[in-house]
Amino acid sequence: MVETLRPDEDDAQITGVADKDQNDDLDLLAKGRKGVAVAREKGPIGRAFDWLESPAGKRIMVPVLIVLVIAFPFIDHNEGHVDAATNAISLALLALGLNIVIGFTGLLDLGYAAFFAIGAYTYGALSSYQIHPDWSPFWEPFRTLGLVEQLHTTAGDVVHFTVSFWLMLPISAIVAAFFGFLFGAPTLRLKGDYLAIVTLGFGEIVPIVARNTPYITNGAQGLNGVTYPTILGYSFGVSTRPYYFLGLALIAFLIFVSRRLKDSRIGRAWLAIREDEIAAEAMGINRARLKLLAFAIGAGFAGMTGTFYVAKLQTAAPEMFGFPVSVMVLVMIVLGGLGSVAGVVLGALILQLLQSWFLQDLTDWIHALGKLTGLSFLLKVDLVQSIELIFGVILVLMMLFRRQGLIPERHETTALSHAEQTAVPTRGDIKTALPALHTRKIDPSKPILEVVGVKKSFGGIKAVRGVDITVEPGQIVAIIGPNGSGKTTMFNLITGLYVPDEGKILLAGKSVAGMRPDKIVSEGIARTFQNLRVFPTLSLFENALIGGHPRTSNGVIGSVFHTPKAVREEAATREKVMNILSIFGNRLTPRREHLARTLSYANRRRLEIARALMTEPVLLLLDEPTAGMNETETLELTQQIRGLRERGVSVLMIEHKLNVVNEIADKVIVLDHGEKIAEGLPADIHNNREVLRAYLGRTATAAA
Amino acid sequence: MSLFETFTQQLINGLSIGAMYALLALGFTMVYGIIELINFSHFNIFMVGSFIAMLILQAMGFSGQAYTLTGLPLVGVMVFTLLATMFLTGMIGVLIERLALRPMRGVSGTAPMITTIGVSYILFNIVFLSQGANSKNFPNPIPPVQWNFGEITLRPREVILWIITLLLMLTLQYFVRYTKLGKAMQATAQDQEAARMVGVDVDRVIVTTFFIGSALAGAAGFIFGIYYNVTREDIGFQAGLFAFTAAVLGGIGSIPGAMLGGLVIGFVKSLGTMVVAEKWIDVVVFSLLVLVLMFRPTGLLGVAGPTKS
Repeated sequence: MVETLRPDEDDAQITGVADKDQNDDLDLLAKGRKGVAVAREKGPIGRAFDWLESPAGKRIMVPVLIVLVIAFPFIDHNEGHVDAATNAISLALLALGLNIVIGFTGLLDLGYAAFFAIGAYTYGALSSYQIHPDWSPFWEPFRTLGLVEQLHTTAGDVVHFTVSFWLMLPISAIVAAFFGFLFGAPTLRLKGDYLAIVTLGFGEIVPIVARNTPYITNGAQGLNGVTYPTILGYSFGVSTRPYYFLGLALIAFLIFVSRRLKDSRIGRAWLAIREDEIAAEAMGINRARLKLLAFAIGAGFAGMTGTFYVAKLQTAAPEMFGFPVSVMVLVMIVLGGLGSVAGVVLGALILQLLQSWFLQDLTDWIHALGKLTGLSFLLKVDLVQSIELIFGVILVLMMLFRRQGLIPERHETTALSHAEQTAVPTRGDIKTALPALHTRKIDPSKPILEVVGVKKSFGGIKAVRGVDITVEPGQIVAIIGPNGSGKTTMFNLITGLYVPDEGKILLAGKSVAGMRPDKIVSEGIARTFQNLRVFPTLSLFENALIGGHPRTSNGVIGSVFHTPKAVREEAATREKVMNILSIFGNRLTPRREHLARTLSYANRRRLEIARALMTEPVLLLLDEPTAGMNETETLELTQQIRGLRERGVSVLMIEHKLNVVNEIADKVIVLDHGEKIAEGLPADIHNNREVLRAYLGRTATAAA
Repeated sequence: MSLFETFTQQLINGLSIGAMYALLALGFTMVYGIIELINFSHFNIFMVGSFIAMLILQAMGFSGQAYTLTGLPLVGVMVFTLLATMFLTGMIGVLIERLALRPMRGVSGTAPMITTIGVSYILFNIVFLSQGANSKNFPNPIPPVQWNFGEITLRPREVILWIITLLLMLTLQYFVRYTKLGKAMQATAQDQEAARMVGVDVDRVIVTTFFIGSALAGAAGFIFGIYYNVTREDIGFQAGLFAFTAAVLGGIGSIPGAMLGGLVIGFVKSLGTMVVAEKWIDVVVFSLLVLVLMFRPTGLLGVAGPTKS
């Protein structure tokens, strides 16, 4: 049995991880036997979707789909159908934008239609007769640029805005993004929930403002006579077809942008925030900034769509942009699959088909049935009227039974083969695997971490009362202590999750107390979490890639257009992940495409360490790294931690297994009731009276 | 009308609608306090409550404002309608919790909130489809007398709704502070895990919270009806938004905070009309919400707890 000082049960038993003595690689098999959704039989629909998602399916289906949508207006000459399809496209455009906000970043935006409205009015007001200031020489240069015209009226000359649609498309996107920024900035720092209500309010007031400012918007009557776009002398006019093709082009563009972004440094940071905000911060991600970016980009998409929509409709009225529009777009992405680009487009298509054709047909059919059977209540059914009820039902049913949507963002990977599962784990050798863990010069004469007199209380509870900790470069320092002694609080203070009430925290002489967690990661402190905070529905590889965030710089432009620099950086980060995963031998590498939530407990612990190492820390904080591991695995990890020290990473760890502490710690610090009661070499701590009292004095029976 | 008289009159109005917002805000704050969820279905439980009260009154033979009662019969009808409405909306809350939200327990992210939006939409459309989209004349058995103090008018309905609100709040305070279940509720709000460990039946606490919150929303719906003599299928949206603002203003999770916040919002709404045009009031309240979130996210009476890691 593992020697342990800890009086309480081991973590592993509490969380119910069985088979401690068994190799953890068998865990997956065990789960499969218990029927935990590893290889559940799929129905015909599931298999059909699988085929569509497979490379072969995509090679065939994608070109077929593209040809079909382009050919559609030539096959179907019914103007009404093409018009409905164009409306579906507008909604799909909105859905693609909202998907970035809700699907990627996990921010519930309920006022999305507001940005649609802003884009619509931005174009509408600048391309109609609505705003007509008196003509003055001030406008002369704008006339030369073709932005305005001089209009002769009986009351004198006035200005007529004629800004080109093509110019307004990006401008409205920017204007809407700006408003997104404006309204996102104060609230995105807060917990995600508040955003929902603030956006709901925002979505409510934008139409009110539109109604109450008739000078710009013509109030409730709505804007009239919005100019239609022209291209190379060809006017779009009132025919639907050119708008259909323009819409398709916009869809293609937004799909391209969405996909490129999702698979980039920025997109991964969004996904990380969606999965676990605190863990995302611990990966050096500036939450507020990235949320704001997602919010603004989503708003930009909506603004662009607004311009497109108004150009097609040639009018804009406040009630076109109310709460029901926001909900409809939400229903689309929930139906299609939150975060899934293809799913979102499918969701938009299905809803439009439902509204334009299917519900009417179904209603007629029910009425016919009513006449036939003489059941008069069937004659009263009107499903077209009930569309919003159906939306509500879709939302609830999808959330309850198929949260991932029709086309899920990602699939469970197939379990490893028997041979892979039973392969003898090789122990990774950190010395040969890596060029360097970090590139910082460390002054060996100064302590890497100095914690001086740090205090923290929560209400009346004094969790940490004046603790000093010093870690010298290259040291491994272990913190031990009974539960509730303030160990994890200490970690949270060092990593910036809590701000100390008093005291100093210095990293290589620089104060980090009170810094934001993500800044502290950039400074060089990384951590793992006691209760495991991997990003559950991202793959192991993506989890590790996210760790590279603070040491990389790819932005939106680079990610979307794959600039040479961005491509180089991405390749280098991926290579670094492979190097770091190899520290753990063949434990993680063969499972790199597995979703993190399907990994065994021990592998998730390893992944957390790998992810933390990706941030290039000079000091690594490990919170019970060997909890839930068997003896062999513990021994293996102990050696790997020692290997880290040899590569220049200092380690501060909370650990309960005394053999681990004895084996690798250069120094042991004992906390009890938020105070340091002992410090010294592991051997000395064993015989320290205070330490024995802290442990045995409380629950002598458990320790016996 | 002198400024003082206008002010006093608006104070009376503010106190009345504020009482309604406070009752509605309590449901938001209690549910948020226990399971950290913004319950969007609450918006329309309120609306459904006003329809239930209307249907109960109609079933008893009241229609419009033609038939009024005084004395004990009035008290009897009011108490019965109020309690029946509260019971029924409370049960709707329980149903929502059991069917839609309990399976979502422990699911993080946006899913539970999206579920409540779906439920809210379903409630809205059930009423919309069954009752139609026009204003309904809300039966009001309160005599249409009014007391005049100079230019200031006070009507019995205002006094009645103050009394109702006061009694409900005192009962709630008593329940939360002195009963076993109420104390379990407070414990669960502070730390669900710890409450479970000392033997609190957390599921029961949560379902009770939904019952009480929804019942109070029903009471608010009833009050809306007798105050405005009218109800409509879309009253939930604005009232819900205002009430949520009230909950945030008071400090989300804080019961006295919700009461205070409701009154403040009521006063802002009524006194605000002395300063800005009525059509801008929504914008004012919304700006207030944003400002509170920016500068005092814990609200007037809320306290920040440690983030869990």
